[in-house]
Amino acid sequence: MAELVRAPAGRLARRGGRGPVREFLTFLLGDDVFGVDLARIKEILSLPPITLVPRAAQFIVGICSVRGLLVSVMDLRLRLGLEARPRTRRARILLVTTDPGEVVGLLVDEVRHVVRLSEDELELSPALGGDVSEHVLGVGRPRGEFIVLLDLAAVVEG
Amino acid sequence: MAEPGDRARDEFLSEAQEIVETFSRNLLSLDASVREGAADPALVNESFRAVHTLKGLAGLFGAQRLATVSHRLEDLLDDLRLGRAPLGLETLDVLFSAIDAYGRLLAAEREGKDDPIPAVDDLLSRLDRLGGQVAPKATPVSDYELDPGLLGVLTEYEEHRLRTNLELKLRLYRLRVQFDLSTIDKALEDMKSRAKKHGEIITYLPTGEASSPDTIELDLLMASRDDLATLIGSLGAENIVIEEIPRRRTTGIPSVAAPRTPLRPPGTDRPSDSVPPPRAIEPTGDGPSLRSLTQTVRVDIRKLDYLMNVVGELAIVKSALGRLTERLRAEGQRQLVAELQRSHRSFDRRLAELQAGILEVRMVPLGQVFERLARVVRQISREMRKEIRLVITGAETEIDKLIVEELSDPLMHMIRNAIDHGIETAHRRAEVGKPAAGTIALNAYQKGNHVMIEVEDDGRGIDEQAVLQKAIAMGRVPKDGAHELSREELLGLIFLPGVSTRDQADDVSGRGVGMDIVKTNIGRLGGIIDVQSETGIGTKVTITLPITLAIVSALMVRVAGNVFAIPLASVSEALWLDEAGTERLDSREVITLRGATLPICRLERLLELERAPSDPGPRRPYVVVVALGNRRLGLVVDHLFGQQDIVIKPLGRALASVRGFAGATELGDQRVGLVLDASAIVDEVLEGSEAVRGIRRMAIG
Repeated sequence: MAELVRAPAGRLARRGGRGPVREFLTFLLGDDVFGVDLARIKEILSLPPITLVPRAAQFIVGICSVRGLLVSVMDLRLRLGLEARPRTRRARILLVTTDPGEVVGLLVDEVRHVVRLSEDELELSPALGGDVSEHVLGVGRPRGEFIVLLDLAAVVEG
Repeated sequence: MAEPGDRARDEFLSEAQEIVETFSRNLLSLDASVREGAADPALVNESFRAVHTLKGLAGLFGAQRLATVSHRLEDLLDDLRLGRAPLGLETLDVLFSAIDAYGRLLAAEREGKDDPIPAVDDLLSRLDRLGGQVAPKATPVSDYELDPGLLGVLTEYEEHRLRTNLELKLRLYRLRVQFDLSTIDKALEDMKSRAKKHGEIITYLPTGEASSPDTIELDLLMASRDDLATLIGSLGAENIVIEEIPRRRTTGIPSVAAPRTPLRPPGTDRPSDSVPPPRAIEPTGDGPSLRSLTQTVRVDIRKLDYLMNVVGELAIVKSALGRLTERLRAEGQRQLVAELQRSHRSFDRRLAELQAGILEVRMVPLGQVFERLARVVRQISREMRKEIRLVITGAETEIDKLIVEELSDPLMHMIRNAIDHGIETAHRRAEVGKPAAGTIALNAYQKGNHVMIEVEDDGRGIDEQAVLQKAIAMGRVPKDGAHELSREELLGLIFLPGVSTRDQADDVSGRGVGMDIVKTNIGRLGGIIDVQSETGIGTKVTITLPITLAIVSALMVRVAGNVFAIPLASVSEALWLDEAGTERLDSREVITLRGATLPICRLERLLELERAPSDPGPRRPYVVVVALGNRRLGLVVDHLFGQQDIVIKPLGRALASVRGFAGATELGDQRVGLVLDASAIVDEVLEGSEAVRGIRRMAIG
């Protein structure tokens, strides 16, 4: 049921620039690539049975149990104000640890891999339009790609 | 995970907390003994020891303010135990305020804050003021021409006690006791407590002789008003020789060193210029004892929660094994199935034992919180100049640690209310022929799976008319509906927000805390609160609490495909819903149950659950009647499917604002079910002034 976050070395995007390197886990929401700080990811899950919570905010999918731990699952699309889409087989839940030590699940369309970005591939707090911007840390531009880096604290605790 | 330094610091803080609690307990006993006329010197000394240890700990961990406060307190307690300063109620007030200051200091220390704490500054300035009362130092004990061998090893405190006892013209005895080395700690404590009713053990020294390698011989110096025969009768045993130490004729000063039986160990012939010999054990000495007297460990409750989760997972493994067994049976493996079933049953039993064992560890006696309350009672009664007698019963009743932690605030508010608004002034009490001292009874007892706590006072009772006026003014009760309310219903109004028990006319303190907050806090613990009151006789508030938060029995129900658990503590009964028997009253659906009107609530609608198109709904739904205090509500559900012991886990922060759920629980098949918060749902459905009318209707039955 659980996969460890350990991408094969070959799948790690090669270092293109200089400066200290930060690792991000990338995933898809629709056709867009998003990334979050790898250190905050505890685990990646295939979808377990999820119990709906009446009266909860619309972006809350429900709650599930991960080996005895109760986890609230958020639909990251809805959380970011993106349009809803039906779930596919590739959908996964990212378990992230929040500041008060709680674990929250983020439902994403598909998990890709870990990228290592050096400082000159990172552009922190750029001006992006739309609802997404308040949850964005910056963008990453490794070799011809464009990754929206999310501010997990803002997503989970905001 | 926590750094080792953090862990040591956590340990330090919780140990400091325990010491403060011990100190507080000592002060309460001391307060009682001072009121009876004689301060118990052992308690003063123990308090000194507690603060002394705290000072050492604080220094070790660089807790500067804690060290300063402890140092100043230690000075005061040292003066008190050595008789240099008098111990009266004012001094005790200062000591009690130190408990509060310690609480704040420890909290600040825990959060790593160093903002100024007014309570601490206040304490320090009160300690300054007390400093002026210190009496001049008494004459040194050497004036008494005591044996120098003894003097060399007596601590200043022991000297003081010896002198005090001699001034009281008590007799001195020497008890020579053989102790078993392996049990000496306990045996000595036993000895001291048995000796206590006759007098005081001032000091003890090893004689250096022993009948076997496993024993140690101690000489105990004891002062007593009883004669030798009484002591032998009471304390005598095979391993004890008791002798009276004769007084010296010329000076009337006793010679402690009897001939041929020197109290000092052999080898210290010239005690005046030799270092005092080390002692075997030293509970009353000045260095902290390295060996702990108790066999307890401190455990972070989160570790127990973790263990409880593991038990939950094992239960899931167990049901998986059960399913495997069934499959084997289908394949005809009879022999194997029989053996598997035996193992399965035994696993089941052990698991239940494990669960019970962990639950037991979580249990603590309510006495922990009652002690804190005793301090509050003392403080408030001094502040308000009302004499209060606090009677506690059932302090040994055990309840979940987490509940105890949450109980102290609500109980404190209730007691404050009782003293502030309940107990009359001494003058008024005299007028109505009540004893001058008001009584507050704090009773606890277990009743089935619940713990009952009662706070009872013999005060003036609740003025329900004043309460009603307030409720009408607040718009909580319609003016024209008021006359229909019974006394119980009127009393129930004190739990509405903004309505107070205080009588506006003579309210001087203005410190009463709304009972609605108390009720909310108790409700959060799955508890119920009820009030009874008789004008002029008193008020009794009863709290019913579950024994543990970790495991509750719940009724499992299904509504529109969703499984919910309703804690059985709030369920009074369940019945078929007769749709033809439902009526509408105002905006609410009601049924008639045994002649009384019962409001009902369709959970499907309340929670806006979506029914799958394929689900036609139940042919005959059920009504689960939840009762909270005197309020009842019928919850309409599709199916009941039995009772289950569940572990309630809190919903995360993302769901904190969702009303109506107390948490969630695992159902055993990897699924999760929500636990309904019956009290929140009842509040929501029967809100505000509606609630009052609801009560009235139900009370007809």
